[in-house]
Amino acid sequence: MNSVELTVNTRAVKRDVEPRTSLADLMRDTLDLTGTHLGCEHGVCGACTILVDGVPTRSCITYAVACDGADVTTIEGLDDDEIATELRAAFTREHALQCGYCTPGMLVSARDLVKRLPDADEKQIRIGMSGNLCRCTGYVGIVRAVQSVITERRARDIAPEPDGGRKVLGPAGSGHKACVSSQKLMPAQPAVSEPAAAVAPLDIPDFTPSTTLEQKFTVAHAPAKVFALFDDIAAVASCLPGATLVGTPRPERVEGAIRVKIGPISANFNGAARVERDEANLSGRILGIGSDQRSRSTTQGEIRYRLVPQDDGAATRVELSIGYSLTGMLAQVGRSGLVRDLAGRLVAEFAGNLDRRLSGDVTSAPSAAADLNGVSLILGLLRERATNVVRRLTGRGGSA
Amino acid sequence: MKPAPFAYERPRDVASALAAMAGDGVVKVMAGGQSLGPMLNLRLVAPDTIVDITGLAELKHVEVAGEELVIGACVTHADIEDGRIPDVTRGAMQRVASAIAYRAVRNRGTIGGSLSHADPSADWVSTFAALCATLSLRSAKGARLVAMKDFMLGALESVLQPGEMLEAVRVPVMSPSARWGYVKSCRKTGEFAHAIGAVLIDPEAGRARVVIGAVEAAPIIVDNAEELFGGRITNDFKSRFDARVADTLLSKAGMSDAADRHIHVTILRRAVAEAAA
Repeated sequence: MNSVELTVNTRAVKRDVEPRTSLADLMRDTLDLTGTHLGCEHGVCGACTILVDGVPTRSCITYAVACDGADVTTIEGLDDDEIATELRAAFTREHALQCGYCTPGMLVSARDLVKRLPDADEKQIRIGMSGNLCRCTGYVGIVRAVQSVITERRARDIAPEPDGGRKVLGPAGSGHKACVSSQKLMPAQPAVSEPAAAVAPLDIPDFTPSTTLEQKFTVAHAPAKVFALFDDIAAVASCLPGATLVGTPRPERVEGAIRVKIGPISANFNGAARVERDEANLSGRILGIGSDQRSRSTTQGEIRYRLVPQDDGAATRVELSIGYSLTGMLAQVGRSGLVRDLAGRLVAEFAGNLDRRLSGDVTSAPSAAADLNGVSLILGLLRERATNVVRRLTGRGGSA
Repeated sequence: MKPAPFAYERPRDVASALAAMAGDGVVKVMAGGQSLGPMLNLRLVAPDTIVDITGLAELKHVEVAGEELVIGACVTHADIEDGRIPDVTRGAMQRVASAIAYRAVRNRGTIGGSLSHADPSADWVSTFAALCATLSLRSAKGARLVAMKDFMLGALESVLQPGEMLEAVRVPVMSPSARWGYVKSCRKTGEFAHAIGAVLIDPEAGRARVVIGAVEAAPIIVDNAEELFGGRITNDFKSRFDARVADTLLSKAGMSDAADRHIHVTILRRAVAEAAA
């Protein structure tokens, strides 16, 4: 527990909090100021909007420790506020609320707009209120209420304040306790340790990938040699960035994990794979499934390969088709493109590693446990590649 | 929807912040926390320690140095929107800032945090690339300058090394003859952009810099965009804009969906039109 001092609705408050406690939770759970509502808890819905140092902030994604020394005003503190009083009357008159859940956040954002906007332009009000979601009344009454208060106040010659009254730089709430000495606040309980490895799934089901990425490259080796490499599961796994194997791999069941990192997010998918080969067509596929306990996400993936003889069998074109699907928390981030970009980079690196491995360049091969961390790694590897290899990478990852 | 427990450190200056970043376990720097906060709450990120740099006066410092405006990393979008810092871009940065997310987010979200997070859809990623800005990065080993166009490597990935932080953004003074256009497409106002077009066109100098952003990867930056305008940049650049060249650029960058390309090309065309207006 760590001590935080705030001025809340003009009252000095000192409380012990965990660093992870949001300003909203401090208001609601510790100070019983339950007028601040929590909707989405990730900064989208606006229900938790409160004033910090006089300007609106999202109290669900603002941590109390980061606002040490700040001035906080919740909806309870706006009872006698002139603009808020006018807004409450206008909300009542215009039927701007029904269930009332979004209303505290709406009033705080509306009060800020009333202060800042020069006139009651409907478009500007709609843009200004776009960060507050209402799921029952709709916005017509809310917009009308805000419009009417702005119109009345401007008619009374009350000038707008475009900066909302803020005069200092930096995040609202910050800088009050610019420490004279570095302080380290410890969490109330030790941070959770890495969860135990998940048990690999029994079944490795077939699936239809939601995303498929293609890669092609040519190596100066005979198809038979290349095909043999794809039979060496450990070798293939060592080319896959972040992959590690557990136990002895057999074609019908390979157990292991793959660790991926996208910016600050990292996931460790534990799972199993099986290998299929078609010797006659020099093709095959590796099919796997894995889950990450921390993010409660599951991924399924397949690597399909086809080898095409080139130059009368002296060289081989490797055609890779890599597909995957993702479910669970990681998939719910709603930014599938970011995952696709990561997958593109992974595939490019995998292709580069395979290519190098086939060229006999095993000395500088990356350790199997190396995490993918940025394209610099890929570029570094590609630069190191043996010069006798004719390579041609196509696709998005290759241009990275 | 509550973050996993973490330790919190609020250093007194940049040097002690860098020392804190070298601490044990996973250490994450936080400024306004408007990108990191949601990820912490969703437990997509669970660092051992958060280093809060918003108390550092050095990172809120702003000055015009020669032909550049140097903006500390902890300056917020609202600081720029409200004109609390000087402007060398003839209002361009102010307009971009005013359309980032929502006011409550802009009151805490910082330029340094946004760039470090390296979200392809972030406005500053494309804006600063088009404005030819340079980033000042600092680590215990010293400072280095990286051009914005070289900063991002991919979605959420930048050249920032472990133990290194973004200290300031250096924005060059915009030439009086330069024309600026910035348009983004969001499905809902304030949400992540699905397409961004940013152009800085100087017909007098015969130069145009074009950025196609929000491509779910590092932005596509065309340093000298003559090819997009039929070979040379003149005052009639708006009518010379060649959408087919833009479409080819996107195809080459791996954007296979024709509808996605169409949206990006349309947004870029609007940015060019805005620059010509």
